[in-house]
Amino acid sequence: MNWISTLLPWQWALFAAVPIGIILLYFLKLRREPVEIPSTYLWSRTVEDLHVNSLFQRIRQNLLLFLQLLAVVLAAFALLRPGVQGEATSQGRKVFLLDASASMMATDAGEERNRFELARKMIREQIDAMQERETAMLVTFSDRAEVLQSFTSDRGRLRSALERAQVTNRPTDIIGALEAADGLANPRRSSTTGDENDVQVADPMPADLLIYSDGGFRDVSDFNVGNLVPTYLKVGSGQSRNVAITAFSADRNVEKPGDAQAFATIVNFGTGAETFNISLYVDGAWRESESLTLAPGEESGLTFSLAGQEDAASLEMRLESPGSGASRDQLFDDDLTIDNFAYAGLRPLRTVSVLVVTDGNKPLEIGLTTESAAKICIADFQSPSYLETPEYQARAEAGLDDLILYDRCRPKNLPSTNTFFVGALPSDEWSWASEPGQTILVDVDRTHPMMQYLELFSLLIFEGRSVKGPTGTRELVGADNGTVLALAPRDGYQDLVLGFEIVTTGEDGTPQTNTNWYAERSWPVFLLNVLRHLAGAADATAAPSFLPGDTVRLRVESQIEAVDISRGSGTPESIRTGNSGSVEFVDSEMPGSYRVTAGEKLVDLFSINLFSRLESQIQPRETFELGYETIETAGMIETRKEYWRWLLGAVLLILAVEWWLYNRRIA
Amino acid sequence: MSATTESIPLLSPDLLAKLERLELVSRKVFRGRMKGERRSKRKGQSVEFADFRNYVAGDDLRLIDWNLYARLDQLFLKLFQEEEDLHVYALIDCSESMNFGTPTKYHVAKQMAAALGYIGLCRADRVSVQALGDQGRRAPVLRGRSGLWKMLQYLESLESGDNVSLHDAVKDFSLRNSGTGVVVLITDLMDKSGYEAALRMLVGRRMDVYVMHILSPEEIDPPIRGDRRLIDSEDGDETEITINNYVLERYKLTLQSFLGSVKHFCSRRSIAYLPVRTDQPVDDVMTRYLRKRGVVR
Repeated sequence: MNWISTLLPWQWALFAAVPIGIILLYFLKLRREPVEIPSTYLWSRTVEDLHVNSLFQRIRQNLLLFLQLLAVVLAAFALLRPGVQGEATSQGRKVFLLDASASMMATDAGEERNRFELARKMIREQIDAMQERETAMLVTFSDRAEVLQSFTSDRGRLRSALERAQVTNRPTDIIGALEAADGLANPRRSSTTGDENDVQVADPMPADLLIYSDGGFRDVSDFNVGNLVPTYLKVGSGQSRNVAITAFSADRNVEKPGDAQAFATIVNFGTGAETFNISLYVDGAWRESESLTLAPGEESGLTFSLAGQEDAASLEMRLESPGSGASRDQLFDDDLTIDNFAYAGLRPLRTVSVLVVTDGNKPLEIGLTTESAAKICIADFQSPSYLETPEYQARAEAGLDDLILYDRCRPKNLPSTNTFFVGALPSDEWSWASEPGQTILVDVDRTHPMMQYLELFSLLIFEGRSVKGPTGTRELVGADNGTVLALAPRDGYQDLVLGFEIVTTGEDGTPQTNTNWYAERSWPVFLLNVLRHLAGAADATAAPSFLPGDTVRLRVESQIEAVDISRGSGTPESIRTGNSGSVEFVDSEMPGSYRVTAGEKLVDLFSINLFSRLESQIQPRETFELGYETIETAGMIETRKEYWRWLLGAVLLILAVEWWLYNRRIA
Repeated sequence: MSATTESIPLLSPDLLAKLERLELVSRKVFRGRMKGERRSKRKGQSVEFADFRNYVAGDDLRLIDWNLYARLDQLFLKLFQEEEDLHVYALIDCSESMNFGTPTKYHVAKQMAAALGYIGLCRADRVSVQALGDQGRRAPVLRGRSGLWKMLQYLESLESGDNVSLHDAVKDFSLRNSGTGVVVLITDLMDKSGYEAALRMLVGRRMDVYVMHILSPEEIDPPIRGDRRLIDSEDGDETEITINNYVLERYKLTLQSFLGSVKHFCSRRSIAYLPVRTDQPVDDVMTRYLRKRGVVR
């Protein structure tokens, strides 16, 4: 039995005045109220009867006083907090490692709201049971460790630090927390081992390492516990239910950029079979649902097709309870909610920058400024003399344009970007394969994205030549005299070469048409395909996904000065762009779809998802490896058995008896 | 005590009408002073035959039964039961202790005395309603219904607070009234010197004694609780007491024991003991309770 005083000395002095006050009140008790009655004849006889057993009467008189003093004494004992230490700590120091990762939000924690609250309660009990001489520190860990309170014996500070601890949506990495504890218990030496002059920089401070976790982290192999005495306190029940979306992404169909597909992987981590619906929401509106039943441990992949999804879209996948009617929209109720949602984004078709070097080409100009093309393309028309300017040089070297279109001209050096040569060859690697002459198209490679939707066999070409490209050149359009449209790779870029001119210059300098292609419907479609697939407007349409707490790094167009990033319909956060359009976003705690906008324009999309099987696997582990040790769960630490509650109960009981006796006597 | 209770008339007209039909029962036959309506020990003139006896010289010739003389040729006198009056005394305790309760015990006592007195007056008895103590000396002796108003006047004029012991008062009464008869002692018996000597004295004078023990509900179940200093209204005696349920139970036991001892004392001496609560209507007491107890018929 030991005692923990809860009052300061001056408070005890104040408390000691209470029994003195009670006794004084008995001395100064109220005067009897006089009452005139017909005769005291019978009362005197009654009192005489009472006097016969006067000792008993005296006890009865003072019983209330005794009870009141007893209540005060018991209250004093209760304030001294008597108790029996369940398990005496040998170290005198404790390091509380509190798991604050996403899996601690699982609700299989009995009466507590979730595992985190249960762990917090367990730590609070430990803090309450701490002796005066004991010290403790509190460290929370998710994907990073945070020392909420360094070593102190002040229980109040520990409690307030514990109150500050918050569970996060992040995955788990215990290393940081272990290193924080390790730094204290196993101080490093001043220099290398074996050095004669090596000195210990600080005394090692052995400590109990109390790990409150569900074990949802990887085993730690490269860690030496040294003076730490680890104890693993498993939080969570073995009978948990959790179905998780472990992967979700969406991407445009390469063949049909207007169509998109969403892919998801769903795993049942629970101990029983689960039936549920998976619903896909596009920009908040329900699009499609599918019902699924998964046995324990089973995994399933799903694909949803999204036709006609040309614009940017935020996709959300939810697990919902099976059923129909009103219950349809009810969210699936398992122990961990955070992994019942997944988010993905479809980026908009990108706006590409195209430099057109031409002496004047009306069909090209019209084709690049159609309504559809203008949406994805900013075309800059320059004359061939522009190729000589330093501005062009810088532009070409930096690769600022997504595509440079050379109409009947060629640069000295090929630019660091994709090119499209019309009636000209890019470099010496290319050569004409035939003499100029009337050309009849005979073959079109429809499998290539740039060639889709094109009907070219009705074209009239007055003068054209076949081309021959370097190794790896792919023929897109073949004519009777050879390849007239070829695509060749070049150092990560692509060169597209057309063997005939669209517009020629007559001898008198007036422009003349060399083909009727510009009058065909296929002309603008072809240019659009070129913009999408050669200029890259349809590239990388799947928005990236990040883990909660990650720093999100994005690259936007360099001319944008600031972007607004908002989650769902939330308040946007304004962020200034850094060098060359880089954006860093750190407030990424909440899973969801995030939209990056500049003014009214949607610039980019990204999503935050907890795609972590370690977190979704919420069955608490019984053991884990720490260095060379296997740490087994200690169940519950036997806390100090406190008796103050019983004493307080006794005080209340005594007061009740006292009150009853008093009323019996008075009332 | 309150003005309202004191202003209640001692006898209501309804009660008077009921009382006229009642008669006091005397368990003893006394010799009266005047001719009345009650059978006397004496033989005399009435319509009720009593006995025959031989004629001796000097007897009233009018009483000779001539029919017997004709048959037996001997002279016999025919004797008749004499009817005489009854002495009825109603003694009221005027001590201060009677002046408690709602209505006060004193008021109830006066009502009882007036009612009994009126019954006696209606039956041509010799009625004397008097207070114990000095006020008893001026009590009128009444006979006949016409004495009602005089009796009531006397009762109205009585004042409480005549704290004389029961024994002294009864002794004083006995000295002043030598005759026998029915004595109704209306009292609360709250006399610290005891009631026994007074009753013994009345019995010793061959009175037919009735004790009407007046008790108020406040005495039977006292409404007081807590730490109190009880002050005796008669002698100012003080008793400090903490009244709780336990003490109250003890008090009730003491009261029951006291009532039991009075009853026992009375029954051993052929005294009719009649406990009366002040919250009982006088009407009810006179017409039901006393009739049931054989005091009136």
